[in-house]
Amino acid sequence: MVDAKIVNLTIEGRSVSVPEGTTILEAAKTAGILIPHYCYHPGLPIAGVCRMCLVEVEKAPKLAPSCATTVAEGQVVHVHSEKSLDARKGVLEMLLINHPLDCPICDQSGECELQDYTYQEGREDSRYREPKRFNPAEDFGGDVIYVPNRCILCTRCVRFMEDVAHDPALNVSERGDRALIGKFEGKDLTHPWAANVVDLCPVGALLSKDFLNKARAWELDRTASICPNCTQGCNVTMETRENQVVRMRPRPNENVNAFFMCDWGRLNYRWMNEKNRAEHPMVRAKNGLVAASWEDAISATARALNGKKVFVVASPMLSNESLFLLTQIMQGGGGAFRVTEGEEAPLPGVEDLALRRERAANVYGAEKLGFKKTRDLLGGLGQGDVLVIAGEDLAGIDASAVSRAGDVIVISSVLPEAAGKASVVLPIANFSEEEGTVTNLRGRVQRFTQAKQAPGETRPSWLVLGDLLGAMGKQANFFLPSEVFAKLASSNSAFTGLSYDSLGFKGLPLVDAPATAPKAPIAVGA
Amino acid sequence: MAIKVKVVERPTDDVSYVRATLKGMALTVKHLFDVQGRVTTQYPEEKSPISPRWRGTHRMLTTETGKARCVACGLCPTVCPANCIKLVPGEDEEGNRYPLVFEIDEFRCIFCGFCQEVCPEEAIHVGRHYENSEYSREGFVYDLQRLMDQTHPVCEMWDPEDPKGE
Repeated sequence: MVDAKIVNLTIEGRSVSVPEGTTILEAAKTAGILIPHYCYHPGLPIAGVCRMCLVEVEKAPKLAPSCATTVAEGQVVHVHSEKSLDARKGVLEMLLINHPLDCPICDQSGECELQDYTYQEGREDSRYREPKRFNPAEDFGGDVIYVPNRCILCTRCVRFMEDVAHDPALNVSERGDRALIGKFEGKDLTHPWAANVVDLCPVGALLSKDFLNKARAWELDRTASICPNCTQGCNVTMETRENQVVRMRPRPNENVNAFFMCDWGRLNYRWMNEKNRAEHPMVRAKNGLVAASWEDAISATARALNGKKVFVVASPMLSNESLFLLTQIMQGGGGAFRVTEGEEAPLPGVEDLALRRERAANVYGAEKLGFKKTRDLLGGLGQGDVLVIAGEDLAGIDASAVSRAGDVIVISSVLPEAAGKASVVLPIANFSEEEGTVTNLRGRVQRFTQAKQAPGETRPSWLVLGDLLGAMGKQANFFLPSEVFAKLASSNSAFTGLSYDSLGFKGLPLVDAPATAPKAPIAVGA
Repeated sequence: MAIKVKVVERPTDDVSYVRATLKGMALTVKHLFDVQGRVTTQYPEEKSPISPRWRGTHRMLTTETGKARCVACGLCPTVCPANCIKLVPGEDEEGNRYPLVFEIDEFRCIFCGFCQEVCPEEAIHVGRHYENSEYSREGFVYDLQRLMDQTHPVCEMWDPEDPKGE
């Protein structure tokens, strides 16, 4: 496939040149033409069962399913000709024969391809007068619920479980108009990547129990982000409603997660909506910690840090920018972090994609910036050093070690227990409330953006640390996270040449990142 | 140069105010003795008839079991141009889609009737009712129970077959 022959054809009057072996549907995409389709998905083997992508190819005896027809030299394809529109109208009418049209109570409403294409090219009324077939909704296990009445039998879910998850759990049961998606005897959708069938389902037949009846698709604000729940760094779209993260869905990136994300990462978003937050900067007075202005808190912190060795206990959830600024306040001290671990769960159908053992976003970045991964968080804390706790809660750590510290500064989005000993508390935004970059386990630097508003007087961590550096008399004029990143790129050789502009929303590997094999595309007809 | 004024000779009948004043006074006196019947409506004892398509206070219709017909589909808060409907979707005891919170701010509402028009379940309606009073502004935020408790007749939708409602 390296020196593939280029084929020239015409689609809807536009000339298109694509490598040999490309399907008409994919070739049309490159020309900006969307051919309606249900069963085709770029991450799954081709089935050609929905008949929705029928197009007219000149000199061909009949309409061709564009998802399963490869391009040929000099082909002339008509996507919106009368003949193909008529065929697709017929397909839509047939799909809607037994569809309950319960859009008002269907979670998919608003992001449903059946709804979209019916509005786009379907009939305005039904000619079907007979009663519709009815099957009760079924719990498929895991996070998935199946509503057979809405199903259009595209078999995307069946193919995902069989060819991508390698855990054949679903099949098409029964025949003819009684056909529905069934589970194999004794099987459940408990595979750690099974909830991807909810995203793959073009209609409202497979629904997430977690998201069920929570919001309508059109009420959600969508933000490009990175899943912070393990070191894989799957690209996600964070969806918020009324300043609450309500779900995360995978965002395609062929270099990281293809089209998928695991269930654990997907469902682990509630900590971002934490209500019990540190909302105001606090400074220790005679009667304990009292709320203070940002200026006072920053200058109190700068006074506490100046001239001291600083030991930083950081969270691997912090961005590269914040961790870099933390290294700038160390003044000869060190930094440590710890990471919670769990079972590794690979997705066999995609190369180098797994739910990783280390469950934090920026483990690799923290190590790259000189933080030491250790269970004994406070081991490096010297007598009389200033301890800076950034985003870490010190839960389960022997608190007696904290007493070695000359002073304790807490920079966190929630108040950790160690705040009892702190002389200053600086509240920061959490992962979903600020912008930055994280580095995944293959050394790929990826941007995430702000999905929701931070509460109270909370500020983004890079801004707080930048102000702190300024107050300590160091060169720090940062107004944007991109400026912090530019400083990082110029001072750390591993980040050389990277910038927010060059990273884009798919990320780039570090200079010394281990070379990774390209993702194996799924073979046509596999 | 002296300004020349052209004086137009008009018949006295046309320029005299006396006749016009008397004519006006005659009309006033005529109404004083109620020759044509009273025109003042004695509101509130007496009320003017309102159109069957009057769009007033909202009302939520209920099912035979006394539950709101609403399925929390979210179309009315979406279509509402005044943004006066607050809806938090959820589930009822049987697991069916049902509003956890459904509030209409009657002050903010502009009574366009789009909510009734868009409702796929014929649940929310604007009604043929306009007399509301409260001691506080908060009282005009009607919750689901209050909307269900309304008993006034609801607005009839415009019928293209009978555009004037005759």
